[in-house]
Amino acid sequence: MKKVSEIMDRREFIKAGGLVGVGVAAAGAVIVKDRTGLSTEDSTGEKTAKNVNTLKNLKPQAGEDDHVRMQRELETALSKPVEKRKWIMVIDTRKCVGCQACTIGCVAENKLPPGVVYRPVIQREVGEYPNVSLHFLPRPCMQCEKPSCVPVCPVKATWKRPDGVVVIDYDKCIGCRYCLNACPYAARTSDFGRLYTSGEASGAPEGNQRPIFGAPAPWEAVPSYEYGKSWNRKDHGSPVGNARKCHFCLHRLEVGLLPTCVTTCIGRATYFGDSNDPQSLVTNLITKYNVQTLLPHWDNKPNCYYIV
Amino acid sequence: MSIQSGSVAAVDHTKFSSGWTKLLWPVWAIFLIAGIAGVFMRITHGHNLAGYGSYVPWGLWIGVYFVGVGISGGAFILGTLGYLFGVQGFSRNSDLRISIILSVSGLLPAFLGVWLDLGRMDRMMNILIHPSFTSMMAFNAWMYNIFLIIAALTWFLSFRDSSPWLKPLLILGMFFSILFPSQSGVFFEAVRTNEFWRSPLLSMLFFVSAITLGGASLLFVRSAMLKKSATSEDLSALDSALNILRATTLIGLLVYVVFEFAEFSITFWNPGAHSPNVEFLLFGDYRIVFWGIHLGLGVVVPFLMLSTGNTRLWVIASLLSIIGFGAARLCILIPGQVVGQIPGIQEAFQDPRLSYVYHITTMEYLVVLLMIAVGMTVFYVGSLLNKFFESSSGAR
Repeated sequence: MKKVSEIMDRREFIKAGGLVGVGVAAAGAVIVKDRTGLSTEDSTGEKTAKNVNTLKNLKPQAGEDDHVRMQRELETALSKPVEKRKWIMVIDTRKCVGCQACTIGCVAENKLPPGVVYRPVIQREVGEYPNVSLHFLPRPCMQCEKPSCVPVCPVKATWKRPDGVVVIDYDKCIGCRYCLNACPYAARTSDFGRLYTSGEASGAPEGNQRPIFGAPAPWEAVPSYEYGKSWNRKDHGSPVGNARKCHFCLHRLEVGLLPTCVTTCIGRATYFGDSNDPQSLVTNLITKYNVQTLLPHWDNKPNCYYIV
Repeated sequence: MSIQSGSVAAVDHTKFSSGWTKLLWPVWAIFLIAGIAGVFMRITHGHNLAGYGSYVPWGLWIGVYFVGVGISGGAFILGTLGYLFGVQGFSRNSDLRISIILSVSGLLPAFLGVWLDLGRMDRMMNILIHPSFTSMMAFNAWMYNIFLIIAALTWFLSFRDSSPWLKPLLILGMFFSILFPSQSGVFFEAVRTNEFWRSPLLSMLFFVSAITLGGASLLFVRSAMLKKSATSEDLSALDSALNILRATTLIGLLVYVVFEFAEFSITFWNPGAHSPNVEFLLFGDYRIVFWGIHLGLGVVVPFLMLSTGNTRLWVIASLLSIIGFGAARLCILIPGQVVGQIPGIQEAFQDPRLSYVYHITTMEYLVVLLMIAVGMTVFYVGSLLNKFFESSSGAR
């Protein structure tokens, strides 16, 4: 066995040190660059302001319906540059009756396949007979201020927009599912390419309605319009294989429509709006009530609040 | 147990030349055919025949991937250290080449497993073309690829009589091979919202397992490569190498268990730290994997076998410890995923893919067989290339 001094000559030692030094420096540089990089693919500034005025014939009035008010505030928010808005959701669990209309509305709106869900409603039984009650907790994506799912993405396929919505680029996502593991709320699900009418579909209807060995039912190929683009899952097209999540119906927001879960809520338990607007309904709610967020100890700072 | 430094314990070579390596051919053929069937299932059915889903997103393939990474890093570190320090059994360029080839043979099948695990296999190259280095996954992917280039260069230079770049490149390769197995632990630690994975000890556990895996796998292949035509110099080198690798594996197994005890012992003394994940691992559904396969079959039995002077048992022990580390990887991977943080989420929207229960499926096992067969193929082809270039260049 050689002594340490015999392992290599000075020239080799300098070369080795140089190579390792360059390696360390390069690794450090790319990490710092990506950690501190503020680059975003989203446009900002005045050009992102939108003039949506569907309520021009309906003047604001005291005591108007919450949905009308939220619609009006949505249009006000859209008239600002994107970085001046901050979308949040407030869910009044006291009003939620666990009807799952929001869940189903979301599935229909986003054409969600089996095994993909953006907004499940968790049901919890509290107490013992005869003093028993059911509690419901809808769980959309929390659109966290410090999302733990974003930094783990190896291909920059997910990021937080200036308006606070955490989005996924289906064309970039490689389907590694690292973000699924990083989300403590289980708000991300993977689209494994399943179909309601194909062989593997669990709960699919039997008989003629289930063309196991034939083509899937035609409605399976209806595209979704998430993120304002047309996504067709036919022939393994995106978002098949991708991570998917609630995006506050961004494609609806951009054209002046409230998220589907808000409009389908029969108990009017879900509120949505711009928390940068001090007069907005959502701002009033989170300041008036003792709202809570889920798993606050992780310091993700969720933008979905619960009135309990 | 007799581990000697300076003079090495004599190894009974007759037990290596009894033809047991011929068994590897049918094993390889069976693994290859079964593995191809598994890949066929994966391609034709997508991920539908796998046990993982959205709530347990990673399964067996990711566990085996980390075993491959460990073998790769460990084999390179041991081979390089032995070569640089002129340790008998590692000091010849031909010894170094075995470590390099084994290192590559560990890494390439690991890539295969991860590639098949991706939802979008067609976008695999995105991780190199558009990486985000805030993610340990991208960082690791780049490290593996740079390491492969270094391994190829050092392998090429090792055929030259003396290259001024061989040792510097080996040092650089060693730097990467220390980095990527330990950073595999950070791969989990970086998930800051997972209580079970958020332990700085994971990097050490992964690094120690890499050294042990490297020792065990080198012990296996060095034994398998002994030819009846071996010269006395070869036999003497092999004696030294096997004794060192045996000692490395023994010490590695011990150190790993000590670190693991440090990781879990807190749950015995602090009931508050008794998380459902640890409960699942030590006393729940995974107790057989942890106590039986990982600790029993993967640590205790190999430890006893390596403590004897029976060289045939050393070979079996090396294989068992590799299997044991496969179980150890699953003991980190699976318990970290099976406990949801939002109670009732599994029942809220029911689907087979939205479950916190994970059972390995036939398709997953079959694909792992292919990964092993591919590793064996890469090693065999690498060995043939070694022989070819050694005979044509007269290199040693």
